[in-house]
Amino acid sequence: MNLKKYLVRALHRLQKGPGYTYKELLVWYCDNTNTHGPKRIIKEGPKKKLMWFFLTLLFASLVFWQWGILINTYLSYNVTSSLSIGFKTMKFPAVTVCNANPFKYSEVKHLLKELDRLIEAALERILQPTAGNGSENVSPPLDLELWNQIPLVLIDEHDKDNPIILDIFETNQTAGGNETAMGNETKKKYKLAVKLCSPQGSENCTYWNFTSAAQAVTEWYILQSTSILSKVPLQERIRMGYQAEDMILACLYGAEPCNYKNFTQIYHPDHGNCYIFNWGMDEEALNSSNPGAEFGLKLILDISQQDYIPYLSSAAGARLMLHQQKSFPFLKDQGIYAMAGTETSIGVVVDELERMGYPYSDCTLNGSDVPVKNLYSQYNTSYSIQACLRSCFQNHMAEICGCGHYLFPLPEGVNYCNNEDNPSWAYCYSSLRSSIKQRQICIDSCKETCNDTQYKMTISMADWPSEASEDWIFHILSYERDMSTNVTLDRNGIIKLNIYFQEYNYRTISESAATTIVWLLSSLGGQFGFWMGGSVLCLIEFGEIIIDSLWITVINVISWCKGLKQRRAQARYPDAPPTVSELVEAHTNLGFQHEATGALPRDEVLPPEPGTPPPNYDSLRVQPLAVLGPDSDAE
Amino acid sequence: AATAPGKKITARLKRTLPVRGPQAPTLSELMRWYCLNTNTHGCRRIVVSRGRLRRLLWIVLTLSAVGLILWQCAELLMNYYSASVSVTVQFQKLPFPAVTICNINPYKYSAMKEYLSELDKETKKALETFYGFSEGKSKVRRSVDEWNSTGSNFFQQIPLLKVEDFSRTATDLHSGQKRKIEGSVFHKDSSIVNSGDSNDIIGFQLCDANNSSECALYTFSSGVNAIQEWYKLHYMNIMAQIPLETKEKLSYSADDLLLTCFFDGLSCDKRHFTRFHHPLHGNCYTFNSGENGTVLSTSTGGSEYGLQVVLYIDEADYNPFLVTSTGAKIIVHDQNEYPFIEDIGTEIETAAATSIGMHFTQSRKLSKPYSDCTETGADIPVENLYNKSYSLQICLHSCFQKAMVDSCGCAQYAQPLPAGAEYCNYKKNPNWMYCYYRLHEKFVKEQLGCQQICKDACSFKEWALTTSIAQWPSAVSEDWMLRVLSWDKGQKLNKKLNKTDLANLMVFYKDLNERFISENPANTLVILLSNFGGQLGLWMSCSVVCVIEIVEVFFIDSLSIVMRRQWQKAKKWWNDRKRASSGKAPEAGDVEGQGHDNPVCIDEDLPTFTTALRLPLPRDRPLPRTPPPNYSTLRLETAFTEQLPDTLELSQH
Repeated sequence: MNLKKYLVRALHRLQKGPGYTYKELLVWYCDNTNTHGPKRIIKEGPKKKLMWFFLTLLFASLVFWQWGILINTYLSYNVTSSLSIGFKTMKFPAVTVCNANPFKYSEVKHLLKELDRLIEAALERILQPTAGNGSENVSPPLDLELWNQIPLVLIDEHDKDNPIILDIFETNQTAGGNETAMGNETKKKYKLAVKLCSPQGSENCTYWNFTSAAQAVTEWYILQSTSILSKVPLQERIRMGYQAEDMILACLYGAEPCNYKNFTQIYHPDHGNCYIFNWGMDEEALNSSNPGAEFGLKLILDISQQDYIPYLSSAAGARLMLHQQKSFPFLKDQGIYAMAGTETSIGVVVDELERMGYPYSDCTLNGSDVPVKNLYSQYNTSYSIQACLRSCFQNHMAEICGCGHYLFPLPEGVNYCNNEDNPSWAYCYSSLRSSIKQRQICIDSCKETCNDTQYKMTISMADWPSEASEDWIFHILSYERDMSTNVTLDRNGIIKLNIYFQEYNYRTISESAATTIVWLLSSLGGQFGFWMGGSVLCLIEFGEIIIDSLWITVINVISWCKGLKQRRAQARYPDAPPTVSELVEAHTNLGFQHEATGALPRDEVLPPEPGTPPPNYDSLRVQPLAVLGPDSDAE
Repeated sequence: AATAPGKKITARLKRTLPVRGPQAPTLSELMRWYCLNTNTHGCRRIVVSRGRLRRLLWIVLTLSAVGLILWQCAELLMNYYSASVSVTVQFQKLPFPAVTICNINPYKYSAMKEYLSELDKETKKALETFYGFSEGKSKVRRSVDEWNSTGSNFFQQIPLLKVEDFSRTATDLHSGQKRKIEGSVFHKDSSIVNSGDSNDIIGFQLCDANNSSECALYTFSSGVNAIQEWYKLHYMNIMAQIPLETKEKLSYSADDLLLTCFFDGLSCDKRHFTRFHHPLHGNCYTFNSGENGTVLSTSTGGSEYGLQVVLYIDEADYNPFLVTSTGAKIIVHDQNEYPFIEDIGTEIETAAATSIGMHFTQSRKLSKPYSDCTETGADIPVENLYNKSYSLQICLHSCFQKAMVDSCGCAQYAQPLPAGAEYCNYKKNPNWMYCYYRLHEKFVKEQLGCQQICKDACSFKEWALTTSIAQWPSAVSEDWMLRVLSWDKGQKLNKKLNKTDLANLMVFYKDLNERFISENPANTLVILLSNFGGQLGLWMSCSVVCVIEIVEVFFIDSLSIVMRRQWQKAKKWWNDRKRASSGKAPEAGDVEGQGHDNPVCIDEDLPTFTTALRLPLPRDRPLPRTPPPNYSTLRLETAFTEQLPDTLELSQH
């Protein structure tokens, strides 16, 4: 009952509205809408009507097409970048300094003694085959167990198709004979290779080829020494490295003195003990509000080159890196060298890139949405792409080889690889390292951070100390370090560093959304307004008309049901209902000229003309007399 | 009627779609009608407002709104071709760039002896006589005598002079003769000349061979520069005569230069390098040149995964006059780019490990009409002499070379040969040096037009390098390292390499982030139109429909009204004249014929009520009676089943 009431009320409301046939509704809509086109359709003469009808259609379709483009543009989430350059007070970067050599040779000698003897003997054999026998007699017998785990072999490539593999320490006689031949003939035919065997046995071996013996020796030594050093507990390794007070001789930040205590110690697998200035882990990061070397960090370091491990690191110098606070220094990637005996000045510009996250660009804010477990979080450092890639590698390594690589942090419950526990680790590691598939997996799963900060460095160098000042500088520095009058420093170990902000210390590229919702709305409005002069209200109007026409349909259906019987009895409309154009014409064409076919029967139905109504001057005026002519002719 | 269905159809068309002129008879009527019916907002106010002040105010407001729209739209149009910059960073596997490595010394001095011995001898003698320098006393004394006896063709061609500044006289250092300087003086280091301390100025004179009075004197503040420049001119002259194959043999082979090579954890050798002969640097070797179609890529950053090479720089075999520094030069470039190593190379020190961290940036500019750059260089009227993709540098060099061939008749040695040209040398082109210096002067002063013709390329790749140096080999590893490297080199066991002959180079990606800086059009047509729409809507609530309205009303309708006026005037004038000439009153039929039957007039000449009354009645038609009442409104309403009072009112409007 309620529903019926409601329907009736709605019906009444509708009846008060523009009308309740579709045509009437349409005419009313066209006449009263605020969009510009439809009004014209019903206002003008027939030809113009047609023209306006098509124009309106055209414009409406144009509007929809362009709206489509605009919405598409919006959904592509473009960004615009703005660049700002200048000087402002900024956090001084964290400065990590390390020695290129990880451990003091004097401290690790007892661990690497066997290895060194092996490589020396091997080199002796390779380089001086004839003299080799003599020297061997003096030295104690070699521990070939270490050698046999990962042996170095010579590959004879005289015959390209079947190279002969020669073990350096095996079968002294034949090898010796071959090597003498090598000495006389074309020597470049020999290559060194590292033999890596899988656990299945020695038949499943790969040879890691090197064109250069120097490279081969270095790589072999690194493999062996990692295996040895991985068994040493961390505390011991830290003790074997360079201590802060030995390494950092002088420190000055701006006008304030600082010393090695201002540095945070961190154990870096590549470089042993590293010291980070201004890491911002415990205290607030330092700000620098002035450009120039006077206001930067000045350091004097000693790398004591005489204590280097001879086969492990051939380049001598300090390794340093500028990075953000609370981030882990990846020296192999971003680090630079500082040469001994020089003063290295580093002018810094902070190159920042601030990006918007999803959906504008594919980056991560803090790495929490990256499917790789960040192993560097044990250092309390923030996420970085390097950390992710290394963690990814280490996770793979732990999974496939069953042990972790010495250079990366350990996942839980995994130990570092060594020759005793994991005899095939080197094989596993080298195959994993050269596997392109594994790298691609890591590249795909890691994401870069949204805020990317780089420190652009302008590096310049000069000799330091000068010859004139050399003596007193070495004297003072030695005295301060050891409290002795002996000079314990020399040119080969001492490094001066100046790190400072340049005149313009930042270049920030920040992203902002190119298309916001406001932009979208104003563009949509602009398009609609441009073509049709419409607004949101016009859309609402249109919606209203649609609702109205729905109601009309409802009413029609109801009346059709109701009048199903009556319909047969009496025809309400003897003639066909007027078309839209007729109705439109009825509104505009005041002369009301019917079409020739419809006019005749209608005239018959019309009641006879009453007397004399007032003359219709309008028709006189608007209708040219000539048009009346053919009408009368037709009659 | 049955015979002409076509006529019937046209008649019907005419009836249903009659062509009508504007409804308003006069312009002011039309304007009023327009203002009342238009969709724009201001106009209606003008007509509707009462009081002059108000109307004036609305006119001013409307006009200023129109003005604002025009101004803003003009601004929008002018800013249409602006670009916005976007920076994208992508972390991905990066293609490793091509790395070209050259020894600073182009050719082995020992091998060049037979070509350069004459020149070197004379240079040494010159040094002895000018500066009293000698390497070994006895040797020089002997050679001085020799020189005096044989004379020198090198000095005859380009005499070295000591200049006495203000007197404009110069002493020929070879013959000791004084000569007057004719022609213009070019100073390579010009600031010294003005200081008045002129006794050390040294230079050489280049004369036009055809016209000896045309001479140019090139002076240098230091003899070091003068001798080097002088030597270089002769050197280029000699080298131009040696064929390329011989030159390649004279220079270093890949085995000579490269001791070890290691890339991405794997060993590499000379097969990974492509030889590339550079006119000034001899044989250079390009790693990853992409010549065999594959470009290596790195999927891990860091120094271990880049290129590590140890270079053998044979310092003992250096040319003492041509190059005065020791080391290697490297350049990081794209596979398609030509390595301009003499212009933008990085020098590598010996006895050191140079670590070069790269950061990759790719930039892309929008070409015309946004900025004046070229995509492929095809639209530049300079032939690309280099077999590489276009760059500004290539264009400038090609342009200069072309000018050189055109005006001097031969090609400059440092740049590739254009088709059909050959390198300059004394024997064939005795005049070339003077010509070259003149041309170079012009080129530097931008008088050749090369700088105007050449445009920069729209897209370019850049590898930003961070270079740092460490001591290498370290004191404790020096011993074994040199021994092993000597073995690698395959030299005699007793001869050990010297560490100053070696340079260690590491080139690697610091990170695998590719920065892509690209310009995008800030505006598209869609956005421009939206902005137009916004402006039109904001100030006047106008749209394209309004614009069409304006065109319709102000141009078509007004024009037709004016035309109608003119037609009527002309007609009146014609009738007056006819009447005046014939002297009789115009016949009614004439007027009617013109007014009703004239097809042109039919549409335009709408009779108003009064004019209609004045019109003569057509004789063959029945008298007009009062037209039938306009029942149409009534009849239309009957279409509705029920009649509501308000709808009736509405439809009666």
